[in-house]
Amino acid sequence: MHRGPRVLVAMSGGVDSSVAAALLVREGYDVVGVTMKLFHDGGEVPDRPCCSLDSVNDARRVAEALGVPHYVLNLQDRFGRDVLQDFVDEYAAGRTPIPCVRCNTFTKFRDLLEKADAIEAPFIATGHYARVADGRLMRGLDDAKDQTYFLWGIDRAVLGRMLLPVGGMTKAETRALARELGVLTAEKPESQEICFVPDGDYVKVLERELPADAPALSPGPIVTSDGTVVGSHEGFARYTVGQRRRLPGGSSEPMFVVALRPADRAVVIGPREELLGRGLVAREVNWLVPTPPSDGAPIQVRIRHRARPVPGTLLRSAAGEVEVALDVAVPAITPGQSVVFYDGDVVLGGGVIERGRRGLPVRAA
Amino acid sequence: MAQTPIYLDHAATTPVRTEVFEAMAPFYGPRFGNPSSTHRWGREARAALDEARERVATCLGAAPDEVCFTSGGTEADNLAVLGGWRILKEKGRKAVVTSPIEHKAVLQSVHQAAKEGAEERLLKVEASGAVDLADARAQLRDDVALCSVMWINNETGVIQPIEELAALTKAAGGVFHTDAVQAFGKVEVDARKVPFDFVSVSGHKLGAPKGIGAFYIRRGTPLEPLFFGGMQDRGRRPGTENVAAAVGLATAMELAVAEREAHWKELEALRDKLEAALVARVPDAMVHGRNAKRAPHILNVSVPGTDSESLLMALDLQGVACSSGSACQSGSITPSHVLAAMGVRADLASAAIRMSLGSLTTEPDIARVAELFPALIQKARGLAGAA
Repeated sequence: MHRGPRVLVAMSGGVDSSVAAALLVREGYDVVGVTMKLFHDGGEVPDRPCCSLDSVNDARRVAEALGVPHYVLNLQDRFGRDVLQDFVDEYAAGRTPIPCVRCNTFTKFRDLLEKADAIEAPFIATGHYARVADGRLMRGLDDAKDQTYFLWGIDRAVLGRMLLPVGGMTKAETRALARELGVLTAEKPESQEICFVPDGDYVKVLERELPADAPALSPGPIVTSDGTVVGSHEGFARYTVGQRRRLPGGSSEPMFVVALRPADRAVVIGPREELLGRGLVAREVNWLVPTPPSDGAPIQVRIRHRARPVPGTLLRSAAGEVEVALDVAVPAITPGQSVVFYDGDVVLGGGVIERGRRGLPVRAA
Repeated sequence: MAQTPIYLDHAATTPVRTEVFEAMAPFYGPRFGNPSSTHRWGREARAALDEARERVATCLGAAPDEVCFTSGGTEADNLAVLGGWRILKEKGRKAVVTSPIEHKAVLQSVHQAAKEGAEERLLKVEASGAVDLADARAQLRDDVALCSVMWINNETGVIQPIEELAALTKAAGGVFHTDAVQAFGKVEVDARKVPFDFVSVSGHKLGAPKGIGAFYIRRGTPLEPLFFGGMQDRGRRPGTENVAAAVGLATAMELAVAEREAHWKELEALRDKLEAALVARVPDAMVHGRNAKRAPHILNVSVPGTDSESLLMALDLQGVACSSGSACQSGSITPSHVLAAMGVRADLASAAIRMSLGSLTTEPDIARVAELFPALIQKARGLAGAA
């Protein structure tokens, strides 16, 4: 029997990656399923979308039903270093990280790719809602599910090896296909949370990983932008830019967290207009197109998952850092979150937000 | 891939032998009785069970009342360590001694004993993979309740100094257990020749089915049961006996004893051939346990610059079944505690591949793996070099 090229499929046991594997089998690929073991669940995270014993078993059963081999790969050490540790460090530095971005960049599309190399698989596949066409990363057809916001960091050279079989479908179509293909996990509920965070409570992870006297978890002042102390808090890492809950009352208008200031452990709050930004600086910038946009070029900018990209201008770009001006004011440009650049459906690249700017940035001389 | 798959994982499990399967068949048919019943069906089952027990006893140089049937090696190990500790602590003995290269069934049982008040003592292991006897002499003092050391290590095949360890433990007034799961059928396990008190044997490593094992208890050795509920096996292991499997185990053990020396020579020749071929083609391959007395069915090798996880996948996709150290429940690979205890560098320990030979292994298998393995190694290293 002739077989198509080998593809290593990252299977979490969920619907999307199961359908991805099923589609690739149907298309004649030589499918090898793997499930990544990324952290010790240790009883603390009993029923997570991935890594739990149940998820591994789901993936194994799906692979078995598809008649393809399945392996469990232990990537705990590297995930711990590249993703978990960074997650903790970022919060400790007053930023709000997205571990999924780093997991895609380092764990799935670098470390897992090495495993694909080891079994001479030219391709690697996942259940992401995104597409690759003509060597370019493109938004998934289902706007509500598009996951390109989390994929900007991968090495551009990997694009040619990526297969994203569900990226051209809507979630509803994926589920329908799962039923049609008899995928065992067709009815499995959606996972939205960060895989290693129990009950969506990231502070628990910080409390476990940081020393008890870490500044990020120690009391500090809540101040307004003019420096007035209006209250106190139990650790700035418990707050996120844009947050409205758990802030002192007494103001005439709704107040939001507008910044975290680790230097004096301050949580800075202000009214809605102080939350608005007209520009940003990003670091760790990665371009996914052969010719990145030049300074002064118009660019579509997305600063959070599912947000509609807004028009802006690339002001300067050098040494992995960019500065961008936005045509419209955007709320809660949050340090540590990602900024992703688009040209229509094409993902140009992205970076980690270093800081937002309230006014229009002045072009560097 | 069209080639016949090659099974090099006999230390994990073995196929049920035809003779064993046939011997068991009547007990899944007309001879289905419960050995505790007084009627004819019960008597028939009882007769078969008694006979099986006698045959197992003979294989161990033991009396029938010294043999107990268990669900396998893990249960036997738990029974030895915890059943022994729980009764011996009443006599004022406080230490449970073991080695860091034991199977988890022993190690975790010893940890449990420690939770129940035992002082846990781990014997030093030499770089060769054998337990350090000088250290054993120092640690096996008169406060020892129980010492448990495996006869043949399941990852390296290194044969442990069981006669000496048993004698030292007895001299200190303690009880000695050995997990002979990998040893039975390879070395002579004879209660008349070696002064052990407890021995664990597992059926499925010998061509008997999974779910049956034998546990030897020297006459007069105190033991508290793990299970309660009946007088089967003299109350040491209550529960309706698995008659068919006990008959299967007896058959497999008899065959293993009869074939032991010839089997050893045959496996040793194949293993040595494979080892020589691999070392010739990959000169920096490190064979674990090569400086110790080793059982002939295990070859554990690490190649610098590779990792077991990738190699095992690549081998499996070529139809060759091997293993690394111990797989955890999810099936992912964790670094070997055995190699770590031998002082093997972490990067080499995480590259270990265990090939274990047995009844299914043929000359052509060995020749094919001797070709294939170095080729995969070269690819794995090429990648590592390029990264």
